[in-house]
Amino acid sequence: MKSDTPLLEVKNLDVRFAVRGGDLTALRGISFSLDKGERLGLVGESGAGKSVAAFSILNLIARPGYIAGGQILFEGEDLAAMSERELRKIRGNRIAMIFQDPMMTLNPVLSIGTQMVEAIKAHRRIGTKAAREIAVGKLRKVQIPSPEKRLDQYPHELSGGMRQRVIIAIALLLDPEIIVADEPTTALDVTIQAEIMALLLDLCEQENVALMLITHDLGVVSQVTQRMLVMYSGRIIEQGPTREIINDAQHPYTQGLINALPQMGEPGARLFQIPGSMPSLKNVPSGCPFHPRCDFATDQCRQTMPEYVRSGNVDVACYEVSNLIEQEKRMQEAGS
Amino acid sequence: MTTATLSRWNRFRESFLWYSFKRDKVAIVSSIVLLLMVFAAVFAPLFAPTDPYDLAQIDIMNSELPPVGMSGADAAFPLGTDAQGRDMLSTILYGTRVSLLIGFGAVVLQAALGILFGLLAGYLGGRVDSILMRIADVQLSFSTLMVAIIVGAVFKASFGNLMFGEIAIYMLIFIIGVAEWPQIARTVRASVLAEKKKEYVDAAKVMGFRTNRIMFRHILPNTLSPIFVIATVQIANAIISEAALSFLGLGMPETQPSLGSLIKSGFDYIQSGSWWITLIPGLVLVVLVLVINLLGDWLRDVMNPRLYKG
Amino acid sequence: MLAFLVQRISQAVLVMFVISVIAFAIQDGLGDPLQEMVGMSVSMEEREALREELGLNDSMVVQYLRFAGNALQGDLGNSYFYGKPTLEVIAEHLPATLELVIGASLIIMFLSVPIGVYAAIRPQAWLAKFFMGVSTVGISIPVFLTAIVLIQIYSIGVTIEWFPEDTGWGRWLNGAFTTEGGLPSYGRGDELTHLFGTWYSGFFSTDGLMHLVLPCVSLASIMLPLFIRLIRAEMMEVLQSDYIRYARAKGLSSMRINFLHALKNTMLPVITVGGVQVGVMVAYTILTETVFQWPGVGLMFLEAITRSDIPLIVAYLMVVGLIFVITNTLVDLVYGLVNPTVKLTGKKA
Repeated sequence: MKSDTPLLEVKNLDVRFAVRGGDLTALRGISFSLDKGERLGLVGESGAGKSVAAFSILNLIARPGYIAGGQILFEGEDLAAMSERELRKIRGNRIAMIFQDPMMTLNPVLSIGTQMVEAIKAHRRIGTKAAREIAVGKLRKVQIPSPEKRLDQYPHELSGGMRQRVIIAIALLLDPEIIVADEPTTALDVTIQAEIMALLLDLCEQENVALMLITHDLGVVSQVTQRMLVMYSGRIIEQGPTREIINDAQHPYTQGLINALPQMGEPGARLFQIPGSMPSLKNVPSGCPFHPRCDFATDQCRQTMPEYVRSGNVDVACYEVSNLIEQEKRMQEAGS
Repeated sequence: MTTATLSRWNRFRESFLWYSFKRDKVAIVSSIVLLLMVFAAVFAPLFAPTDPYDLAQIDIMNSELPPVGMSGADAAFPLGTDAQGRDMLSTILYGTRVSLLIGFGAVVLQAALGILFGLLAGYLGGRVDSILMRIADVQLSFSTLMVAIIVGAVFKASFGNLMFGEIAIYMLIFIIGVAEWPQIARTVRASVLAEKKKEYVDAAKVMGFRTNRIMFRHILPNTLSPIFVIATVQIANAIISEAALSFLGLGMPETQPSLGSLIKSGFDYIQSGSWWITLIPGLVLVVLVLVINLLGDWLRDVMNPRLYKG
Repeated sequence: MLAFLVQRISQAVLVMFVISVIAFAIQDGLGDPLQEMVGMSVSMEEREALREELGLNDSMVVQYLRFAGNALQGDLGNSYFYGKPTLEVIAEHLPATLELVIGASLIIMFLSVPIGVYAAIRPQAWLAKFFMGVSTVGISIPVFLTAIVLIQIYSIGVTIEWFPEDTGWGRWLNGAFTTEGGLPSYGRGDELTHLFGTWYSGFFSTDGLMHLVLPCVSLASIMLPLFIRLIRAEMMEVLQSDYIRYARAKGLSSMRINFLHALKNTMLPVITVGGVQVGVMVAYTILTETVFQWPGVGLMFLEAITRSDIPLIVAYLMVVGLIFVITNTLVDLVYGLVNPTVKLTGKKA
């Protein structure tokens, strides 16, 4: 099923923010890949660096942030090293993005039509009329009623759910290979979240678009993605097939996240909470950034950052896990 | 007493304000220049070679002498003389004194009005708020300078030239103070609205403090830093307004000149080539206003208060 | 739309009412029409009879209503000095002021937008920093001082002899700083073109334009820094917004992002402030016209003050008040038309 070279491959990506008194590291050694048509989830608490990761895929990090190292290979070409001109040809065209808050994403003073047509015209040599037809077709795809009329409306005339549909339509306008969706339903009413998510997934599947879904909602990720990444304090601490991680999480943080999910069918059960909170970028703890909140933390955890180890099909960065694996190996050797 | 002041001084030296001041060259230079100017102006009688108010010291034969460095200059008058033969250096020192006095006085008055009305509008809200802010809106849309010119014109017409000249300083303080109160009132109102939402105000209410006690003892101290920032800029504005009024003949009389009236009286002689009578006081005015504005910019950056925008 | 219009217009009427009350109070408090009409040599009885006849013994309310009624019919009394209806006097002076304001506004518009936008897009560039520095200094220079300096340099001329005349570079530097002068700095010139009514324009002759240069530049100099700073600040805020980032994520060119997406959002608040600044500009015309002896309403107003020409002062207040109110209302309406999020119901959506 897996082709040889993935569609998108991020290698050892470092992102920093230049602030007064030195740099802050927002992303450290991020590596992952995305195949054609695959659905990849990226989970973590707010402040873990999910959004920075999303924006860095398009090399769209706002100043004072910058890519300090690593590669973002899209079909073998490094987006991190590309000129703005070349990047523009990819942005919105081959990799599209869906932002978190539909209220803030569309320009309030330009009509929906203008904002859709300009996106098409930025990438295709095409007349306004033809572009409007494409736009109407995509609006119809996201099930917006009377799409021709919508083109002349302004964002504030549409509800939040409608606007997010428009944004999904804009993402699909140029038939991209990848859609990066940064918390696409968080800002919406709970009642329509599921509807919008289902729509997005359907369309990605229909058009064979790879989806990178960034969310803090482990429930959604477990239901809709094939593989997932767990981020903590700018690092990926666990990644692998979603089913495997959900069923048997290795990293104590991931375990905590899963335990914190409200369990169905157990009314009155106490919700589990991971004690403490995510460190801010300004004072990331030494060693494993999770150690102050971790029950298994040892001196080793406090001093050095753990490397990735493989457990099954899952990569984990945790000394506790690597120690367990080694113990198991030794026991097996002793047993044989 | 001394230890208390000493520890306060130490606390100040450790504060963020002092820290950022030390790192900002513009702020340091501006405040040095401002301090020198204020010092020279306040002690003008000590520094000035002559007393421009004393007619006995003036000799009309010395009129329109150029500053030192130009041909025909007299070393006794380093900045030259004006058309009446007054020493420019002395008139400028005394003029800066008048300008600073009016600027400072007007800001004290507008701060008093602005704080009172801003607190009332912000704290009481409702009808009081909308009426006060409507008045402020209208007054601002007419521009404070326009209001000042009109009030000045009315005063001048009703008091007559002579009488107006005698009480000009108080009149100008009054006119500028009244014309500019909306600026401070809006800022105070904005910060009161923000403070009102905070818990300590609720706590004070629950404890049964009276309204004016809550306003003046609890809310006001927390709105001081934006007031401080805007008041700094307002001093510069008041000095410019005073200069404008004086230039129009609605301000200080020539016998008791401010920087504005010096510029005005010198302007009549610019065509005859005596540029220094008008341009040197002009330069002093610009430097004075500029350093105050630069300090205001710096304060705004450091204190970063909620200022009323626009 | 209708509700919005009604609301704005009733507001404007209210403000005009307040202005008229103030104007009436000034007229009532300062002007004694009898003094002007009959002088000193009239007996008390005759005076009293005249007062009665002129309605000066009526109650304040009646007198105000008469004043307001006359004003509505375009009668604001006669100027003491000119001896003719005040509105006629103002109509003769208004075109000069309007041309001054138009010229200055053109300068402000054509310079503030490009400079403000540039400074927002490239805040670190030395040219942007230079512009911002000049703006800060510019705000601190009163308009009449700018005018005086401009007169000295471009009208009178400056001869610089700071550098040694006997060296080549000294001569060159002296020459570079020396200006010829020659630009007119007094009045509007003689070559005015009659447009209509009382409007004689300086825009259609070289001489008229030459006379406009210094006054317009002076008037513009005080507002320009303000607008540059405002446009820069607004634009920088807009550039931080999500929809700008989204526009970049769509792969749009930076030209389109900066000059359509960002600029359109920037100009909305600028329009509002611009409307308010028209009021400030009128105040500055008084100063500018004084320096350049520009025969507009500002100079006329100042002369009316020195001559204690109360009816003319009052009429000026009413007319200027009306201009403010009309421009502010128009700005609100234009803002409503440009900004799609204002549904012209008076409330922001």
